[in-house]
Amino acid sequence: MSAVIQDTAEQGKTLVSLRNLNKHYGDFAAVDNISLDIKDGEFLTFLGSSGSGKSTTLSMLAGFETPSSGEIQVNGQSLVNVPPHKRDIGMVFQRYSLFPHLSVRDNIGFPLDIRKQASAERERRVEAMLKLVQLEQFAHRRPSQLSGGQQQRVAIARALVYEPRILLMDEPLGALDKKLREDLQDELRQLHRRLGITIVYVTHDQEEAMRLSQRIAIFSHGKIVGLGTGYDLYQNPPNAFVASFLGNSNFLKLKAQGNAVAMFEGQPLSIRLTSSLHTDQDVLLMVRPEKALALSMKQAASEPLPAGWNEVAAKVTEVLFLGESLTCSVVTAGGTAMTVKALSAGGMPLSAGDQVKVRWAASDACVYTQWAESDLNKAAGAH
Amino acid sequence: MKMTAASRQPTPAASAPSAAGEAQGKAKVMKDSTSLAQRWRGASNLVPALLFLGLFFFAPLIGLLLRGVMEPVPGLGNYEQLFANSAYARVLFNTFSVAGLVTLFSLLLGFPLAWAITLVPRGWGRWLLNIVLLSMWTSLLARTYSWLVLLQASGVINKALMAMGIIDQPLEMVHNLTGVVIGMSYIMIPFIVLPLQATMQAIDPMVLQAGSICGASPWTNFFKVFLPLCRSGLFSGALMVFVMSLGYYVTPALLGGAQNMMLPEFIVQQVQSFLNWGLASAAAALLILITLVLFYFYLKLQPESPVGSSNAR
Amino acid sequence: MLLTPNAMSRRMRFGLYTTTGLIALFLLLPIVFIVLLSFGSSQWLVFPPPGWTLKWYGQFFSNADWMDAAYASLKVAILTTIFAVALGLPTAFALVRGRFRGREMLYGLFTLPMIVPLVIIAVAVYALFLKLGYTGTMFSFVVSHVIVALPFTIISIINSLKLFDQSIEDAAVICGASRLQAIFKVTFPGIRPGMVAGGLFAFLVSWDEVVLSVMMASPTLQTLPVKMWTTLRQDLTPVIAVASTLLIGLSVLVMVIAAALRRRNEVSA
Repeated sequence: MSAVIQDTAEQGKTLVSLRNLNKHYGDFAAVDNISLDIKDGEFLTFLGSSGSGKSTTLSMLAGFETPSSGEIQVNGQSLVNVPPHKRDIGMVFQRYSLFPHLSVRDNIGFPLDIRKQASAERERRVEAMLKLVQLEQFAHRRPSQLSGGQQQRVAIARALVYEPRILLMDEPLGALDKKLREDLQDELRQLHRRLGITIVYVTHDQEEAMRLSQRIAIFSHGKIVGLGTGYDLYQNPPNAFVASFLGNSNFLKLKAQGNAVAMFEGQPLSIRLTSSLHTDQDVLLMVRPEKALALSMKQAASEPLPAGWNEVAAKVTEVLFLGESLTCSVVTAGGTAMTVKALSAGGMPLSAGDQVKVRWAASDACVYTQWAESDLNKAAGAH
Repeated sequence: MKMTAASRQPTPAASAPSAAGEAQGKAKVMKDSTSLAQRWRGASNLVPALLFLGLFFFAPLIGLLLRGVMEPVPGLGNYEQLFANSAYARVLFNTFSVAGLVTLFSLLLGFPLAWAITLVPRGWGRWLLNIVLLSMWTSLLARTYSWLVLLQASGVINKALMAMGIIDQPLEMVHNLTGVVIGMSYIMIPFIVLPLQATMQAIDPMVLQAGSICGASPWTNFFKVFLPLCRSGLFSGALMVFVMSLGYYVTPALLGGAQNMMLPEFIVQQVQSFLNWGLASAAAALLILITLVLFYFYLKLQPESPVGSSNAR
Repeated sequence: MLLTPNAMSRRMRFGLYTTTGLIALFLLLPIVFIVLLSFGSSQWLVFPPPGWTLKWYGQFFSNADWMDAAYASLKVAILTTIFAVALGLPTAFALVRGRFRGREMLYGLFTLPMIVPLVIIAVAVYALFLKLGYTGTMFSFVVSHVIVALPFTIISIINSLKLFDQSIEDAAVICGASRLQAIFKVTFPGIRPGMVAGGLFAFLVSWDEVVLSVMMASPTLQTLPVKMWTTLRQDLTPVIAVASTLLIGLSVLVMVIAAALRRRNEVSA
């Protein structure tokens, strides 16, 4: 699905530019030397676990936090010394943060009142916003009389009514239940397409990031460790951390034997052509579970191994049925655990204890020469 | 904080005579001053109240305490007198024994009330709590006056007791320490009930269920599980009441007698009748010291800080 | 099982509820008693009274001394409320929002007037005003009352400020309001319950204050509790019961207002 909107992401000039941005609290670097260009009209998501620095970066963009050093520019002009209320940025907060003492209409009208907008113009714009978020019949209500989804729509309307250049969204859907969240994600994507506004979105939910954004910046320990479309980041993660953070992955530890061959548990495997590997160098191979196949010994005997594929013998430890898909956990003779995933429609006639052959195409497996052991654990990434 | 500590240390570069070193030194000074501004961010709002309290509370208080060692002659004479004179020692004894008794009685009366408020259905509990709040917030003077009338020799209580044949002679229940203890215990009950009830409300009933599943009899459960869980509420309530009782003036002055004074009355008497500011101030210093020490223990018992940064970003 | 009533033995429950009922009556006794006495016809406060009358109320309202004292009380309490809230508001903001060290200690400092025995504050402030020649003035009453009312306003404003989600204020700022505009337009309405409660507390503290007032009073200026105090020391006339009833009445009124406001907030929140 990301492929559909991929072409639009490449357009546009840089609107916001972060240059060597740092935020330190004492010795602790919440944001560690981040540089990033945000394009005009794009939907960019900051994805990371809590404490990874994504919200602090957003806060600095909004102006609630002052960078320890570094530069934030919009259209080439520095924002660092501009107070938040003069930045002309819209923001939707985590807990909606509506004004509890004002009606929906007055909440949306608040930015216009502050700007001393003439009342006719104010009415026109508020009406337009109410229509946009489909809350016309709730205009007179107080925020506390609305559902969570409706409150969030008010918050979006309030952030858009003064037509800011940039809309920041800080985990705006986190408090809603799954179904509602998906509906609002669709609305949000359509809204972005319709208005063409630049949106910077913060979330810890990778599915949400994939669903919404044209580009994703993955945060870890105050740094951006991956930047690109969801498709690229998932299919070709730039490093082991991104690989393990996004989706599920199998990691195999290999010893290089050349630029395209490496030893795994005493058996040679072909790997993607990787330059400047030296013999016996430690290499990490990453295979997505859905890219691997598990074949029973009989199947393996009847289907020859295609060229450019690898095969490893293993034993099934568990087969799980998950509705639309099946996963099969296996362990190799050398003790490496792997997971293979298949659509349940395809079937996987295996059970625990079976001997299997696990196969994958060498071109589908990513090769890393540098990694930290902690990268391989999911949920790492916070301080 | 570590950062500023490190930047105060003279670095070799800054002490070097080169221009570059000097510039670096200047940059460090600037960094220090901005971090000072950072450190006191938002503190300027404290100024009006600090000024007010400084002028009208702390200054007079310190002034008063100084008089204890300055008047009539500089030295600790007032303190010596306070402890040496048996009449004054009697005042101290009265103060502590009344405060102790008041704490005991208000605990005995407050505990069942707090317990019942947690046990009864919510509507009833709210009514009981309202009664407690009502008695706490209605005029102290009015309630004390009421006790004065109730307890006097020809008062309702004496009459009722005599009509029931329990006593022949009216009991002397006012203008002595008995009256003070009755009146003050009454006044302090809310200060026991409120913290205690909050503690009891917070106890998970499942814990007690677990206790009885584990084989504890109701009595064992009460003494080994329930009471220990109430302990923080009991202690903080009792300590608060004790501290307040030490410094109470109105009720002892009205319900007590002229010969059995407590410390607060003694202080006022020294100031108003004898103009003996020195001795009054020494007594005040003693009272403040005891109060603050006990209050320190009270704070130690509190689970969390009142200004804790719950909304820190 | 002790925390659910149905699991307690019937005798135990009966015992507890009877005790509780008696203690609750004990708490109400002096309050009800004094209100009844103010309507009793006996000069000597005989109870139950031989008859009912409003003559003590007549005496109270026709006596210029009592009326002046009541008026002064009201004036002092209102001024105290205004100043205590005005001083408490910025202090609470600094203590909750400030990012400086020693906030705990400062909080302790600001609540100290609640802990230091009133008598000592009274004597200390009395000494100061004696020196300045301010005793017996409205100024001395209000200042001394604000000292003891301030902790109450600070604490209740702090409580509601801590509950107030600061991102709502941030939202106003990002919408284009300056920080000060945001505080006035959004934060103050948001913490109104705390401000009102703090104000009510300040009012009650001042309205009922005896010790400080007795020290500050002069023959020309005294509050209702002072007038009661001085009268009490001479005799127990039922007019004091009238004054007491009025003090109680206003306290109850303020409590009812506070409860109503709280309920409204619960409903709208």
